[in-house]
Amino acid sequence: MKNFQYVNAPDVEDAVSLLQEPGTKAVAGGTDLLTELKERIKMPEILVNLKTISDMKYIREEKDDLRIGALATLSEIELHRMVRERFPILKEAISVTATPQLRNAATLGGNLCQSVRCWYYRHPDVKCWLKDGDMCYAEDGVNSRHAIFGNSTCIAVHPSDLAPALIALDARIRIAGSEVEGELLLEEFFTLPTETHRQSTLLGAADLVTEVIIPHRFGPSNGVYLKAMERATWSFMLVSAAVQLEWKGDRVREARIVLGGVAGKPWRVREAEAMLQGQTLSEGLAQSVGEAAVANAKALKHNAYKIPLARNLVKRGLLELTRRKA
Amino acid sequence: MARVVKTQVEFEGRFYDEYVVIEGEDLPAWRADEKFSIVGQSQTRIDGVERVTGAAKFTHDIQLPGMLYGKILRSPHPHARIKSIDTKRAERLPGVRAVLHYQNAPKIPWRMGLTLLFDQTLRYAGDEVACVIADDEEICEDALDLIEVNYEVLPFVLDPVKALEPGAPKVHDSGNLFQGAPEIYERGEIEKGFAEADVIVEGTFRTQVALHNCMETHGSVATWEGESLTIWDSTQHIFGVRDTVAQALKLPKHKVRVRKQYMGGGFGSKNSAGKYAVMAALAAKMTGRPVRVVLDRHEENLAAGNRPSSIQTLKVGAKRDGALTAIYHKSIVNLGAYTAWGGGTTGPTRRLYVCPHIKTEDVCVFTNLGPFSAFRAPGYVEGTFALESMIDELAQKLNLDSLELRLRNYAEIDPATGWPYTTKGLRQAYHRGATLIDWQKRTALKEKDSTDTKKIGFGMASQIWGGSGGPPAYALVKINPDGTAVVITGTQDIGTGTKTALAQVAAETLHFPISLVKVELGDTQLGVYSPLSAGSMTLASVGPAVRVAAEDARKQLMDVASQTLEMPLDELEIDRGEFLNTRTRERIAIKTIFEKLQNFMIIGRGARGPNPEKKSVNTFGAQFAQVEVDTETGRVSVQKIVAVHESGRVINPLAISSQLEGGIIQGLGFALTEQRIVDERFGLVLNGNLEMYKVPTAQDVPEIITEMIDMPDPEVNNLGVKGVGEPPIIPTAGAIANAVADALGRRICELPLTPDRILKALESQ
Repeated sequence: MKNFQYVNAPDVEDAVSLLQEPGTKAVAGGTDLLTELKERIKMPEILVNLKTISDMKYIREEKDDLRIGALATLSEIELHRMVRERFPILKEAISVTATPQLRNAATLGGNLCQSVRCWYYRHPDVKCWLKDGDMCYAEDGVNSRHAIFGNSTCIAVHPSDLAPALIALDARIRIAGSEVEGELLLEEFFTLPTETHRQSTLLGAADLVTEVIIPHRFGPSNGVYLKAMERATWSFMLVSAAVQLEWKGDRVREARIVLGGVAGKPWRVREAEAMLQGQTLSEGLAQSVGEAAVANAKALKHNAYKIPLARNLVKRGLLELTRRKA
Repeated sequence: MARVVKTQVEFEGRFYDEYVVIEGEDLPAWRADEKFSIVGQSQTRIDGVERVTGAAKFTHDIQLPGMLYGKILRSPHPHARIKSIDTKRAERLPGVRAVLHYQNAPKIPWRMGLTLLFDQTLRYAGDEVACVIADDEEICEDALDLIEVNYEVLPFVLDPVKALEPGAPKVHDSGNLFQGAPEIYERGEIEKGFAEADVIVEGTFRTQVALHNCMETHGSVATWEGESLTIWDSTQHIFGVRDTVAQALKLPKHKVRVRKQYMGGGFGSKNSAGKYAVMAALAAKMTGRPVRVVLDRHEENLAAGNRPSSIQTLKVGAKRDGALTAIYHKSIVNLGAYTAWGGGTTGPTRRLYVCPHIKTEDVCVFTNLGPFSAFRAPGYVEGTFALESMIDELAQKLNLDSLELRLRNYAEIDPATGWPYTTKGLRQAYHRGATLIDWQKRTALKEKDSTDTKKIGFGMASQIWGGSGGPPAYALVKINPDGTAVVITGTQDIGTGTKTALAQVAAETLHFPISLVKVELGDTQLGVYSPLSAGSMTLASVGPAVRVAAEDARKQLMDVASQTLEMPLDELEIDRGEFLNTRTRERIAIKTIFEKLQNFMIIGRGARGPNPEKKSVNTFGAQFAQVEVDTETGRVSVQKIVAVHESGRVINPLAISSQLEGGIIQGLGFALTEQRIVDERFGLVLNGNLEMYKVPTAQDVPEIITEMIDMPDPEVNNLGVKGVGEPPIIPTAGAIANAVADALGRRICELPLTPDRILKALESQ
């Protein structure tokens, strides 16, 4: 780890102004950033500690929504009564994230803003495109963990479990900062990296996520988060599927299907969602929706397995929700 | 009196003749029906409190006044030559005390002369280029960035098959084929055997590179007092480190003291001295201060050794009744850049079954990858997976139960040597294991519990391994004036519970409660020689010497007591750490006799006797696996493992069950999740960390049922014990792979059985 200065931010405004200094990074739980510092993937000169900001760590129930401060830890969210009752999809996503120790430290904001796990990006000796290098080494390399959708110059996948679940809940995100400010749909917050903006969110260098807002639009127990891993726990997803349904009687009124581990951002499959509208769910329909979800997927040399895996998880998720309803 | 004898010693599946000195008379082996009060009883670790309270000092915990830190610069290229190195900028960084490299360090031959401590030629991405010594690790890292190395990048080869092609880049001047030729073994006439076969099965099996990932990474702390060097080293062989460091630094052996009290895992990767030990010693000399060089996790996974990958082709012929007629087994092993020996995988094929015609070929190849080192039953884990997969295929083709097929080819005597076994409990292990997993009812269980997407399967595999231990190994047992005893040996406890087992042996022999027995080990200066802790040999080597020493001490104690207490010897015995007069039933504290003797101490001496001649000493076992394969996610979950092993007498049932569980969990990782991943364009390891290299977590661990066939071996040594460190990892991957094949109705011949491989196989159906 390279030495750095450590500054406590008293409030959001000061944090944002501190972050404007080049070579500065924000740190909250540190579970992601510290690994990058130790591997010298990032070598900031100044670290701004956000945990000293007093009004950013809360979970507040309001009439129309649930508001979660960016500094709330994953454990706090997982254990919150309303999350467990009304948003089981979020609870499920958190319960398969990392380990209890990491969830005790990791924050909501950090989870949404974490770096990709691509092993070329994470390799201290590889200067890949995402680290402002010239090329993506995964494209012609070992890309078994990489994207099947939206492959751009970088084919790393977004690793967050919370993001697909929150997008499936139509969550919004609030940002404070110099480049982006205000509230937007979480789905729009994530982007595929571009030549001039090599990262997976809209955030500018001096912007901060302050809050996530989950509207009360879906009934309880209508969401499921399924995550395929190489081992039983403590792994980033190979593929995950967040499936949220709103029922009207026996029929699906509205559906959200968001895949994780398949693209540089959480990947919402609207065509597949549309197939469910007004339908009763059957095994056959679940299968067709699964197939539709991966219809536009393109396999790389080593990751063809992700296509049937994503298809199967969508199908399994839909059937699981049908089972839970009955 | 000292006697020099020639004895056959088996190590990691290989046999060596050695001369050893045996002191004194060995004791007759404990009888099979011997009554014990401590041996054979479950005993928690005598150093458990130190371990769980953090008081135990591991090498990583050693902090000496004024200690400096060292950090190694490693080659970013898989093959390169250093044209020049400039360390001036690094040396100018405040806090940097020294930079060692090929130009300023002595030319010390390393890895059997294949390289140097600092070689100008670098043969894998991770090979050592320089070592920075500084006030703390952060300064070291900053300094590493400031070293300017001008590399001449050389052509490289990673694939062992390509490495054997004409014109392939040479990893070593002597060529890429280890020892210039494949290692070939033949018995009978292989072609004749296949001609006699009614049925032949063939297959190609691939196994991956597995990394040890010891919790405690490799490392040393070195300090000098005058001309004497002390090294704390995370090692399985303190005397080996002493000898290598003494030779490297041209010091007499007595000037080098190596210490190691506690260790966080070795698994074979710490069998010999590492470069870091010599670098720490050199740097400590240069700076006049203690120096610590400890690898980080990334380095550990590049440079600390690995289980090499293999490509194994097998062809097995049998008669219609299942009698094996011929086995051909060829194995291509990717050694990486350096090795201590061949690392072939065909051992089980030569030794497990009766078969008149066998040919094995091990082709061990150097490539520009991280070096091979022993990894818990090297070769046998990989070879057993391939052989036992093939036996299952054969059973299917013959329409025989695979257990029945194994029993029909059961070797009553060692098929490789023609010698009888001292003991062999494999048949009992097969039967007991089959009962515990309900083998005969497995088809019904499968049908009952399988669904469209969850397929249940059962499989099994056998285990053969050495584990005799042997001389030379010595021990002292001291009885203190306060009536306590101390076992003193030069062995090391690598985390397996050696201290506890040795205390049990000594306490049993002395008739002391175990609470009165201490064990001192892990110090070359204070201990008497004991071999390395590898090859499942520690207890079977050192334990018998401890018993002889304890018996010697007990006899001396009785003699002294009889004279001091003025009681006839035949009326006196030791009972639970006190003298007991058998006539008067009077109990007398042991310390009473010493009170009259001016701090007199009793010292008993013991040596390990030779192994039996023209007898095979082997350990055996059978494991059975029940798995569930999720056909939608490709994930294999192991539901149950039954492991029944025979390793002679059981000294500590609790330690043995832990040892079996540990081996099984490590074997499960090998079967399902663990694999080093390398980019073939750059020769770079991509997952050298514990996040991407997937060792099993607690949640991956299935129900494990362990049992020992407790069968005291009357010939191997005076305790009747054989080793158990390596055996439990050997059959796990084979049993799981057979269970997965059973569940899917088709076989995947490449480990690990990851979701992508399973899904690929299912999609291509």
